[in-house]
Amino acid sequence: MTGDGVVLETRAVSKTFGAVRALQSVSFALRAGEVHGLAGENGAGKSTLIKVLTGFHQPDSGEILLAGQPVRFADPRASQRAGVRAVYQEINLIPERSVAENMFLGDEPRRFGLLIDRRRMAEQAREILGRYGLDIDPRARLASLGLGLQQMVSIARAVSRGARVVIMDEPSSALTGHEVETLFALVDRLREERIAILFVSHRLSECYRLCDRLTVLRDGKIAASGTVRELPRAELVAAMLGRSAEILERGHGQAPAAAAGPVLKAEDISWRNRVRGVTLSVRAGEVVGLAGLLGAGRTETMKAVFGAERPDSGRVILGGRAMGEPSPARSIRRGLGFLPEDRRSEGIFPKLSVRENLTAAILPRIARFGFISKRRQDALVARFTAELGIKTDGPGAPITSLSGGNQQKVLIARCLAAEPLALMLDDPTRGIDVGAKAEVHAVIHRQAGKGLAVLATSSELEELMALSHRLVVLSEGAVAGERDTAETAPGEVLDLLAGAP
Amino acid sequence: MSEAASRRLGLGGTAGIGSLRAWSVYIAFLILILVDLAVTPGFRNIFVLRNLLFEASPIILITLGQSLAIGTRGIDLSVGSVMGLSAAIIALALPAGQPLALLAGVGAGLLVGLFNGGLIAWLEINPLISSLALLVAARGFAQALLDGERVSLPQGGLFDVLGVNAYGDIPVVAFIAAAVVALVALVVRATTFGRYVIFVGANRLAAELAGMPARRTLFLVYGISGALAGLAGAFAAARLGASDPNYIGVNFELDAIAAAVIGGTPLSGGRISIIGGVIGVLLLQVLDSSFIMNDIDFTYAQILKALFIVAALYLQRAGG
Repeated sequence: MTGDGVVLETRAVSKTFGAVRALQSVSFALRAGEVHGLAGENGAGKSTLIKVLTGFHQPDSGEILLAGQPVRFADPRASQRAGVRAVYQEINLIPERSVAENMFLGDEPRRFGLLIDRRRMAEQAREILGRYGLDIDPRARLASLGLGLQQMVSIARAVSRGARVVIMDEPSSALTGHEVETLFALVDRLREERIAILFVSHRLSECYRLCDRLTVLRDGKIAASGTVRELPRAELVAAMLGRSAEILERGHGQAPAAAAGPVLKAEDISWRNRVRGVTLSVRAGEVVGLAGLLGAGRTETMKAVFGAERPDSGRVILGGRAMGEPSPARSIRRGLGFLPEDRRSEGIFPKLSVRENLTAAILPRIARFGFISKRRQDALVARFTAELGIKTDGPGAPITSLSGGNQQKVLIARCLAAEPLALMLDDPTRGIDVGAKAEVHAVIHRQAGKGLAVLATSSELEELMALSHRLVVLSEGAVAGERDTAETAPGEVLDLLAGAP
Repeated sequence: MSEAASRRLGLGGTAGIGSLRAWSVYIAFLILILVDLAVTPGFRNIFVLRNLLFEASPIILITLGQSLAIGTRGIDLSVGSVMGLSAAIIALALPAGQPLALLAGVGAGLLVGLFNGGLIAWLEINPLISSLALLVAARGFAQALLDGERVSLPQGGLFDVLGVNAYGDIPVVAFIAAAVVALVALVVRATTFGRYVIFVGANRLAAELAGMPARRTLFLVYGISGALAGLAGAFAAARLGASDPNYIGVNFELDAIAAAVIGGTPLSGGRISIIGGVIGVLLLQVLDSSFIMNDIDFTYAQILKALFIVAALYLQRAGG
């Protein structure tokens, strides 16, 4: 693989964390003067690869070569000295100091070897920024610049310190349209200087516009690699998503007749550039899959509809009535439930029991004069442990003593206990084993069979297609299309996901 | 962490360790009493108990508020200063009669607490910072109101009821404190508000996504803490027979925090032990009087007390 101009290369690099095989024999080459895109869903191994390349992690096996010579980066400093620098999404500079100070942090030009020469520092900083077409005052406080310009400073700092390889981790995700253009101009300039760039982004259109070559990671392995011409969008997306190992049974019955009116309608929902004018509706008894790649705005759409984030525009209509000012409390009261994606940080109350966790959303309904009826709590726990098949040692068992799948069922029960008309489930089978997945699907279908309107997401397309009657496909925050799952081949959906014109 | 630690120590089953930890404050209290009965001269004297309960009652009140605040994963450093402010307001409001003056003291505490709660809930100021600001401000306000002078309170009436009277050897204030303890314990255990306090402390984001009024809960928690500190100030002033803005409640927040945490309310929030906190207060009070009765120099006594607290916190460290 030692082709022309390879600067940085990994050969059969593997890395394991506990039981997780984060990287499995990854061989990958980065050439001088190329912009190399790295794609993959969450947990595919992108961050691990970056951390191995920058010396945060040591590979368990395999080797790293810099300009053809095997190297070992004991820590990030070692990789920086060798000319490999990463620019992260969260900028790790000092916001309260000036641009020039940040650019020379730790290596300031000095007078008499002692005093920092501020004038020279500012001049040098101005010259470097000018070289990359950045019109930034080196004396400005870093925090006074927008996030985008801060990022440019961070990149300029990296190359001015002699970086031969610049790794950009999600550089554009926080930037406005104009800032993205500046970033692209800067990247083009770096390419001319024969600097190798590893560009990690969830935005495929950016990857295709900017990169010369693309590599896809999936489950810690290289799933595809090639020039942008060799690897068209649909193929790239297929490589990212893969075919899920287990094909889940299509458990749902016939879609409800179109005559059944919509229960949940979201109209023209927008939130901070991440959700852009999303309109969708779900009928009673229908399971609608909200499909989209990572960063397409699935979670953000649900949170804006639920009122967990305040949408900038749009309205939600539930059961024929407009929702008004959205908030989680109002949504739940009016009959809209939401199961958040991150069970640990947004869902469970870790120190508390199954009883407390299951009834958390409906305490006012089971209380009289503010006093909670434990009898009613336990009746609900008994009903839902039976109905959803939750395995627990009883209502008083700590929630953390349950398996992931059973914790998830408790959280679904928390939503169902509020007797919702419509339920939004953000990746309900995330991080649970195959058996539990099938059970969660069965629960969803049973509830839909009783007339519940369900909107669900999944990080796995095939799973989502098996789960839902209809797909609403999001791409870069907007609805790219809708498909009936019974009449649609996965390939067609992949095109939509990729946002292909 | 706790599991790993107990494995490392070869202590086997974590259930045994967990329950031992839950009971540690009671066990420590018992041991201390037994040691005192054996070695401390005059500890059996019944006046010791009576005096101890007079001293402990106001601290129990502020520990209740503290436990609620810590339960939400917050803290209330202002309680000691609010006691001083309440006492100052009582002295100023004396012309309105004793009952109204006492009420004004409690009301002042409530207002300061609600102000603190407003800063925390809506302006999202860190409770450590906002209550630290009020620790300084309330004390300064109390001193300004009385020109830094100690003002004697009249004898008789409600001040005697709170400061002097006892049934048998149990002071009236101890009965009042016990009633408030029972009320707060009931609220925490069985009401929606009490559960919200714990849910918000266990996982604020999840609480909000489950539709709970997180901000209103925080607002009320600090209001309650302020009102209880106001009542504690009234107790302390009645006991002293004077309102002294330079003395009443100084450093009491430290005892309240230590008692709450030793009693089993972890600083990481999501769990509240009301009874444990009360035992924690009694433990620290008995410890103080043990030092005094054994003629241990105050300076050394403080160091010993600190060591004791550290040891107790070590036993509680993970809090489950």
